[in-house]
Amino acid sequence: MARHDVSQCAIITHVLLSVIIGWSVTITAAANEIGGMAQIYLIDSDDLQSYQNQGTGILRHDENGVGIQQALLYANIDLTSDLTLDAVANYYPDGEQHLGFSQLALNYKPLSPDKIKFKGRVGFFYPRLSLENVDKGWLSPYTYTQSAINSWVGEEMRTLGLELSLYSPGRARRSPWSWEVTGGLFQGNDPLGTLISWRGFAMHDRQSLNNDRVQFAPYSTVIDPDFIWHPNYVEPFHELDQRWGFYLGAHLNYFNQSALRYYYYDNQADPLSVNRQRLYGWRTKFHSLSAQHKFTSQTRLISQWMSGSTVMGLSYVFVDFDAWYLMLSHTIAEHRISLRYDRFIVSEDDIFPTDPNSSDGYGLTLAWRYDITDKWQIGVEQHMNKNTAQNRVLLNLPIDANQHQTLLVTQFRW
Amino acid sequence: MGRMLWLILFSVNAVAVPVTVDIKSNKNLPVFQTVVYLEPTSGTPPVPAVDKVSVLDQVDRQFVPHILPIQKGSSVVFPNSDSIQHHVYSFSPAKQFELKLYRDSKVEPLLFETDGEVELGCNVHDWMLAYIWVVDTPYFAKTSQDGVVVIDVPVGHYTLKVWHPRIQDDLESLSQNVNINQPSVIEIKLQKELLQDLSFYQQRTDKLTDYND
Repeated sequence: MARHDVSQCAIITHVLLSVIIGWSVTITAAANEIGGMAQIYLIDSDDLQSYQNQGTGILRHDENGVGIQQALLYANIDLTSDLTLDAVANYYPDGEQHLGFSQLALNYKPLSPDKIKFKGRVGFFYPRLSLENVDKGWLSPYTYTQSAINSWVGEEMRTLGLELSLYSPGRARRSPWSWEVTGGLFQGNDPLGTLISWRGFAMHDRQSLNNDRVQFAPYSTVIDPDFIWHPNYVEPFHELDQRWGFYLGAHLNYFNQSALRYYYYDNQADPLSVNRQRLYGWRTKFHSLSAQHKFTSQTRLISQWMSGSTVMGLSYVFVDFDAWYLMLSHTIAEHRISLRYDRFIVSEDDIFPTDPNSSDGYGLTLAWRYDITDKWQIGVEQHMNKNTAQNRVLLNLPIDANQHQTLLVTQFRW
Repeated sequence: MGRMLWLILFSVNAVAVPVTVDIKSNKNLPVFQTVVYLEPTSGTPPVPAVDKVSVLDQVDRQFVPHILPIQKGSSVVFPNSDSIQHHVYSFSPAKQFELKLYRDSKVEPLLFETDGEVELGCNVHDWMLAYIWVVDTPYFAKTSQDGVVVIDVPVGHYTLKVWHPRIQDDLESLSQNVNINQPSVIEIKLQKELLQDLSFYQQRTDKLTDYND
């Protein structure tokens, strides 16, 4: 079966596109907020072959040169007073799907005089785990190379479903505390966990698009028809077992100074489900805790911790994963300097020791970004990581890798 | 003779007399941004609302100003100085409305015809909050940082009233009838504790807060 035939995401995309077209004849230009962003990079890259090119490197680029880092259009279209269609369309020259949606959702947020309010959304979107990805298009305004946690979220996780929330803005209650509880039900994310199990955590800003495929190295145990027999890629947004995944989350804010977010996520995938491409369901569960504190209006600390497990087949692969980062970001006038430390660990405990899946590493990322005008920004980032992947031995590679890259990025938004 | 007397009386009434009002909390601290207004009772003809348009802007994801006193019958325009959308609304009985304020868009001023409190929120940025306090008099102003305000009024009898969202005292108990025929200083001391100061919401808000909620 062709991958395009089975992706429910393609179906929802078509449905929502129909909604866009249907409504677009009745709405005025004034009722839209449409904009975009483009980033052009010049890179001195690490030469370890990228996972995107079927290597074992955990960075997005593996060749020096110039290219498009990000190119996106976003639209927030008011369909009614309470209902908005939010879309982000991206172009990536690298990867497998070059043009598509990274987010496409109907947001319902009715006006209410109540102290506890309701909102919901349906479509294809990110659960709001991250306090790092707060720019348009779920990008990070801090660094270009994102944390290991949110690199993974961006490449393999998306909610194709429904999210409902109760929330209470503190200021309207005359309180410094605001809170929200939220829950999501979704389909179409059964292969979640494939990448961190075989490739391990990576560090990049390449978000998967609605019908995307992410490559990784052709580990012999993985692709061998007499062993695990899985392609050396994943298409993360497939539904394989018709089971609903869910997540539950809670947000707590103190003024606009401090924020805490907890999520429990379980895709409830059947680890025995497999499609004709030999893509498996991966039962992936995790806890995520994010925190942010602004010491002053210039200086903030952001952190996230994630801990979970994933299993496929009859424990053909079973791994525990843990990752965290700590980032300090400071602004001086129109300059922003951000420094982030990442730590990530994947530990296997499965029935196939000959398919080694343990990996771990740390990363250090330092970025300077300068807003020349409201539209133009320039930035430089230095990133280094040291990572170990036991399964590199299957490719006759050293298990340890030290990777470095320097990025110069020009950004334009409109 | 009668005409002359009327002119003299009118001239006396038309002379503006400064009324200084000093508002202190129960801890003897100044109460900033308190709306102070003097409603004419007798001897002073009611003044119709002037054709005035006040401004309540959206700047850096906040309403500016946080408290806006206006005269009943006047209008407020809601510009958007931010580069992102706002969705301003009120459920207050004195004025219920919603306005979608898009980037670079302009909307017509809104007329406020009922006195009282109008609490504003933004459905995009849940921490945004502002008050329009509609008064039935042209003699009003807000206290400055030192808790003091000076209002020029014609000679006459007035009811002095104050309002602030943090005041817990019964507003009726704070109002007082005053006869203004010379420059006056009036001190008001609150009896109850002020509600918590929430202005810190405005001090840690930035453009990166948009996507968080």
